[in-house]
Amino acid sequence: MGKIVVPGEVVAEDRRPGFGVHVDGGKTYSSVIGLLDEKEGRVIALQGPYIPRIEDWVIGVVEEVKYAGYDVEIKSPYTGFISTKMTRAEFKLGDVVGAKVANIDEARNIDLMDPRRLTGGEILEISAMKVPRVIGKKNSMIDTIIQLTRSEVMVGRNGRIWIKGGNSAAAAAAILMIEREAHTTGLTDRVTDFLKREVGK
Amino acid sequence: MTKDLFSGGKRLDGRGLDELRPLTIKAAVLNKAEGSAYVEWGGNKILAAVYGPRECIPRHDMDPYRAVLRCRYRMSPFASKDEHGRSGPNRRATELSKVIRETFENVVLLEQFPKTQIEIFVEVLQADGGSRCASVVAASVALADAGIPMKDMVSAVAVGMINGKMALDLTGAEDNFGESDIPVAVAARNKDVLLFQMDGELTKEQVNEALRMAVKASDEIHAKQVAALMEVYESKMAAQGGNSD
Repeated sequence: MGKIVVPGEVVAEDRRPGFGVHVDGGKTYSSVIGLLDEKEGRVIALQGPYIPRIEDWVIGVVEEVKYAGYDVEIKSPYTGFISTKMTRAEFKLGDVVGAKVANIDEARNIDLMDPRRLTGGEILEISAMKVPRVIGKKNSMIDTIIQLTRSEVMVGRNGRIWIKGGNSAAAAAAILMIEREAHTTGLTDRVTDFLKREVGK
Repeated sequence: MTKDLFSGGKRLDGRGLDELRPLTIKAAVLNKAEGSAYVEWGGNKILAAVYGPRECIPRHDMDPYRAVLRCRYRMSPFASKDEHGRSGPNRRATELSKVIRETFENVVLLEQFPKTQIEIFVEVLQADGGSRCASVVAASVALADAGIPMKDMVSAVAVGMINGKMALDLTGAEDNFGESDIPVAVAARNKDVLLFQMDGELTKEQVNEALRMAVKASDEIHAKQVAALMEVYESKMAAQGGNSD
């Protein structure tokens, strides 16, 4: 577990541009509150907005229906857009959709593809920063949750998680546990034990 | 009318010329804001909240190359005896909103979030001299708490002349009855001066002395800002310690 750094704190004595850092003169400084990876001179932000990347799956809400497509709110400073050319499906205002980020241009227009409406179930909102931990290395964590609860789960990289069926309460509880304890070790085992106890009830 | 602001060689509250008033800072105090901070500094009680980056509204204010920074400084009706009952923005609040915004425009990495807005709200619940400096101190912590990328953190303190002597961190009374008040905001890393105003008249040497005192005090203030953030984030990480593998 690394040390916590604040904006303006030195993280490397040479120039290492990247996310969460600011290069000034010959040195690199943290630009956000985050965890320092001393070896690499990188900062993993502990707080901040979700900025989509291409190939991310996100869960959003249709907030405007236009002739050319749909504006989708994705818990980000920027709005997603599903072009009617990209999909045969039709969506209504307020529909919850899961979709993949197809493209982001310099003007931060976010194009979404492969949209599917999500119906029923529930949506959990967690910090977008914690989502990688919910997914786990090679999906190990999320697969464990799905196997043990038999719920349908879709994880949005933007911090929204859709859960339907199975022991959805246990799945939700496990995910909230991961969000709380994201930076600790031994989490996978604790989550597995927790779920085995819950599902066994 | 001159008022005697010294008693037995010390200031009315017992401080020396280069002593700060008691200062406590707490981060992450508001649930509904992305970032927040609460500062108690002498008699000042100040709350800062940060929102964004989010969609820029009204759209015509949007900048295609960077985030727009907005700041609203406001004194609550009970903040001081003068403000009693008066509501709504006044010229002073407009001025302070502007200078605080301009302070942070120097350090917030606005280019990372084009077309959005980042908002800073400062509410002065109780004022006692140096409220704009306390606002900068609070807003800096709130911005960091929100995860808004910045080049540096900013601290601020007012220096002034009272009964002919340069004094650090003026109280409301010292500000009202003294000869000069100089609020200064300083970037922590390289001591860049990001806000610098002056009431009254001073010689060049006195102004330099004021700047020197403010920069020297900024380290102590910055340390408290960092401690406030660490307190929140270290406890978030330590709370559920768990077993090590």
